[in-house]
Amino acid sequence: MSEEVILSAGIDVGTSTTQLIFSRMTIKNTAGFGKVPKTEIVSKDIFYRSKIYFTPFLSSEIIDGAKVHEIIKKEYETAGISPKDLSTGAVIITGETSRKKNAKQVLESLSDIAGDFVVATAGPDLESILAGKGAGAGEISKKSGKVVANLDIGGGTTNICYFKDGEVYDTACLDIGGRLVKIEDGRITYIADKVQDFINKYQIPVKIHERADVQHLELLTDKMAEILAQSVNLCKPTEDLVNFRTNRLITVNDPVEILTFSGGVASCMDQEYDVLQFGDIGVLLAKSIMKNRYFMEIKTAHAMETMRATVIGAGNYSMNISGSTIEYTQKDFPIKNLPIGKIRLENEADIEKIGTEMQKAIDYFRDDGEEVQIALAMKGLACPGFLQIQEIAANIMETYDTLFDKNIKLILILEADIGKALGQALKRINSKGRDIVCIDNISCNSGDYIDLGQPIANGSVIPVVVKTLVFQG
Amino acid sequence: MKDITEKEVSEVIYADNIAHIEELEKMKKATPARIGIGHTGARYKTEPMLRFLAAQAAAADAVFSEVKEDVVKDLGVFEVRTKCASKYEMLTRPDWGRIFEEDTQEYIKNHCIQNPDVQIYFGDGLCSPSIQANIPDLFPTIKLGLEDKGITVGTPFFVRYCRVNTARTIGPLLNAKVVCVLIGERPGLLTSESMSAYIAYHARPEMSESDYTVVSNISKHGIPPVEAAAHIVDLLDEILKKKKSGVALKTD
Amino acid sequence: MNLKTRLYGKVYQFQNVTDVLAKASELKSGDTLAGIAAENTLERIAAKAVLSDLTVHDIRENPVVPYEMDAVTRLIDDDLDAEAYKKIEHKTIAEMREWILDGKTTGNDILHASRGMTSEVIAAISKIMGNLDLVYAGNKMHITATCNTTIGEEGVLASRLQPNHPIDDVEGVAATTLEGLSYGIGDAVLGLNPSIDTFDSTLAIWNLLGEIRDKYEIPTQTCVLSHVTTQMEVLKSGKGKADLCFQSIAGSQKACEAFGISTDMLEEANALFRDRGSAKGKNVMYFETGQGSELSSSAHNGSDQQTMECRCYGLARHYEPFLVNTVVGFMGPEYIYDTKQLLRAGLEDVFCGHLHGLPMGCDVCYTNHMPVDQNDSETLLMLLANSGCHYVMGLPQADDIMLMYQSTGFQDIAAVREIFHKKPIKEFEDWMIKWGIWENNRLTEKAGDPTMFF
Repeated sequence: MSEEVILSAGIDVGTSTTQLIFSRMTIKNTAGFGKVPKTEIVSKDIFYRSKIYFTPFLSSEIIDGAKVHEIIKKEYETAGISPKDLSTGAVIITGETSRKKNAKQVLESLSDIAGDFVVATAGPDLESILAGKGAGAGEISKKSGKVVANLDIGGGTTNICYFKDGEVYDTACLDIGGRLVKIEDGRITYIADKVQDFINKYQIPVKIHERADVQHLELLTDKMAEILAQSVNLCKPTEDLVNFRTNRLITVNDPVEILTFSGGVASCMDQEYDVLQFGDIGVLLAKSIMKNRYFMEIKTAHAMETMRATVIGAGNYSMNISGSTIEYTQKDFPIKNLPIGKIRLENEADIEKIGTEMQKAIDYFRDDGEEVQIALAMKGLACPGFLQIQEIAANIMETYDTLFDKNIKLILILEADIGKALGQALKRINSKGRDIVCIDNISCNSGDYIDLGQPIANGSVIPVVVKTLVFQG
Repeated sequence: MKDITEKEVSEVIYADNIAHIEELEKMKKATPARIGIGHTGARYKTEPMLRFLAAQAAAADAVFSEVKEDVVKDLGVFEVRTKCASKYEMLTRPDWGRIFEEDTQEYIKNHCIQNPDVQIYFGDGLCSPSIQANIPDLFPTIKLGLEDKGITVGTPFFVRYCRVNTARTIGPLLNAKVVCVLIGERPGLLTSESMSAYIAYHARPEMSESDYTVVSNISKHGIPPVEAAAHIVDLLDEILKKKKSGVALKTD
Repeated sequence: MNLKTRLYGKVYQFQNVTDVLAKASELKSGDTLAGIAAENTLERIAAKAVLSDLTVHDIRENPVVPYEMDAVTRLIDDDLDAEAYKKIEHKTIAEMREWILDGKTTGNDILHASRGMTSEVIAAISKIMGNLDLVYAGNKMHITATCNTTIGEEGVLASRLQPNHPIDDVEGVAATTLEGLSYGIGDAVLGLNPSIDTFDSTLAIWNLLGEIRDKYEIPTQTCVLSHVTTQMEVLKSGKGKADLCFQSIAGSQKACEAFGISTDMLEEANALFRDRGSAKGKNVMYFETGQGSELSSSAHNGSDQQTMECRCYGLARHYEPFLVNTVVGFMGPEYIYDTKQLLRAGLEDVFCGHLHGLPMGCDVCYTNHMPVDQNDSETLLMLLANSGCHYVMGLPQADDIMLMYQSTGFQDIAAVREIFHKKPIKEFEDWMIKWGIWENNRLTEKAGDPTMFF
């Protein structure tokens, strides 16, 4: 098969900056002659990087949605890209910004203007993962076989992602960043709450509205660097680490072998800046990390991207493609924001329990038998027989028919390579004529959300974005 | 009881004195090749040697063994054989492994429906165990899938000492639009029950090798038979619609 | 020209030189399949007797594919050294056999004379030699060729490291390569058969093998065995380089066409790789052959498979290759049925390649649909190590997981080197000593640990 090139966008609205990238992804059937097709993404090439904008705010609690719109629109025009050119991509609101009152609204409206299948994502874990991948930490881990941790230190948060053998291994997020203390005209104009508590606890002579003293600020950033060292187990954790936790800390015990740094603060590590050049403590924090004894002892590698790690992560690493032998009757894509209900189907004994498992999974998402559209995910038997496939299909269809009217689509997400076989079997007994999508080679879990894009490569594969922990709480 | 073949070769390290064992484990994950097997002097250690012999024996037996009559009976199909009278002839006379005696041709004609859209039959080829291992899941899935699409499927049968090119005879004999041979693949040490499907539109003696569309590596170690079958159903449908197969279909 | 003889009073008449050559050939299932083999063993001996009395001239004048219709015949004939030919023109094949075996005749004498022999002449001589003759004569000839290192020195048994992978996974290929290196394999070439013949996969593996060669400063050469047109395209793109250019070749123009190649194309590839490849020396081609490939494409022109195989060597020598090897048991039982046929083919191919002045190696191998097993491979490997074979193949425990056949393993080569006092290529041997893999002309305890390179 010849190659197919699709375009992807990544948009990151962060605590301090907003940016965008466009990339080309080349999709190709890599199986040889006589083989069942295997369509894969063979290359990713970023061909447009926007300017880096300060994220506009109307107040400290409200993002200036209209301004953000304007920025994105202008960048699309400069790049010569129209939203309909894009096959995939992701908009992500990161760091402190994601906690602003209108974050969800801004995000969703952005994803509407950005392109049909540019998905809205958020959540500190996803952010950590995307930043880590965008920084190249995943690649370094894959190549070296080492445990690699990326610290994406932004304006408001530090997103940490561990990779082992190239795979995401653990994530964490801390409220430590370069813009948690702001300085204007030599005076301190803003101190974030958690930082204020911290200052109080250690009686650091840094006070709002007073003159900024670099040496005093350094006392603060040195202590912040110490907490970052604790966060990746370079030294013993203290209560402070727990206090600065955004949602979770690293739980795995494997020691980090290589560190990478990304985010705005990381970009201050390579270059000389005046310490208060950006009106915040970013440059000082970078310096504090570099001279921290624990960080000096561990091997660090250069991140492929610093400032743009997250936006590249969003543009290049949010999408997967399904297996190449799949089945669907659905014509209208994309289908967005489907909650995942996971069903146990791993061995023969699970087949007869499919009905009850489905019932449970579906009831979790609805009250009193209302109609809800979810996607059912299952691992699937590795090599089921003819009769097993018929039985699985019959059990699924029977239960679904009793639960839902025909306007609810049957969407199945499998891990094992049996999507087409099961899909054909389902179509055969689809007496209500409901739409069916049955794809494989995608792994997801309960609590995830999934977006399915317009089929590509002559309709043989479906782009999929699995979103973990979107807008929790 | 001990079974040295219980674990996959790729899961076992036989070598001693490895400097970085976790690195070797990663290397073994990256390839099914027999690495990390160590040595005694300049020779193999005993267990990996025995494992190699076992795998090679399974492969050789797959070629040289016969498909048992019971297996054919369980499939509920009739059996014919090519002009070859033995495995030896089948292996050394590809020219005979593709043709049938006159009376065999008559027999096939009398026992099959004529003019099907798709004629499917099974051949031992170079791997007898592939019949029992794959056909019970592969064929019914294909048949059902085709019938759903309103495509008629001919009477299936089993050909002993079968080569792919029997298709050139079977096509015109039954006047099938498309012939699909499900046939055992030459085994390697990693798998000794794989099967391929060779599919030809308007199969005939003077067709070219490049007119076959091939789906290979069908087995529980490769593409699961049911999934391969679902793929084959769509391929057959496409071939019937476009009225061509092989390279011509690919370059369409 | 006499095409007739009598044995025990019975007359045996042959039609022409092609017929004599075919019937004089040792039994191969491929010649039976083609319907050109001797009907029985006595007829075979009668053909050998007739052949032994034919002259070098008789055979040159009757090539198995006519000069006018075949580019391979033309190339072989046009390449003949007139002086060398003149000296042997009127000698019989029997005389040539005895002269080669004569204790006074040196390897260099033989290699000088062979420049006047067409491939059919060389095939004819081999057909009246027993297996021990082939080993005895083969041992005299050492053919050197230089890419980054020099192959073919006396006392050397080199090896190709063949790190094939079902999907050309770069990490998988690297893993097998390191395992092989840890056994001292890969002095002839680090050479992969790609599972998919594409620009991308060729480039990716070129880069990988080149990186490994450079990172560990390994004195060897790299190669990806994709189609010659693919390799040329990648080299021309300037995106990557390799030391050797590979191609499978066959013994007639028609069979070459079935492989998608021509003599001009090989000429172009040779020039391109000399000019723009990464090799230091001038020998930059790597060819593979194997009895039966002409018949499989119906391009044997009524000639036997061993004679056609010899013509591959005649074609190969035009390009002064660094490596040529027969993949002796890969074509399957239709061409070489059993152990007896396999051993014979291995010995005659290596001998005939050497007599063509080629640095000849052998992929000692079998497929699972031959009644042959690993013991037979080991036997042939030991035989070839004693008949001057320049290199063999090293695979993890002899198993090719992509092409699904069995060859010879890393440990097998190490054992044969030790038993028969053969060494790797000098610079490579030094490299092995540096890594502590090789000491006192044998593997050390440390060998066999692919993680030593980390």
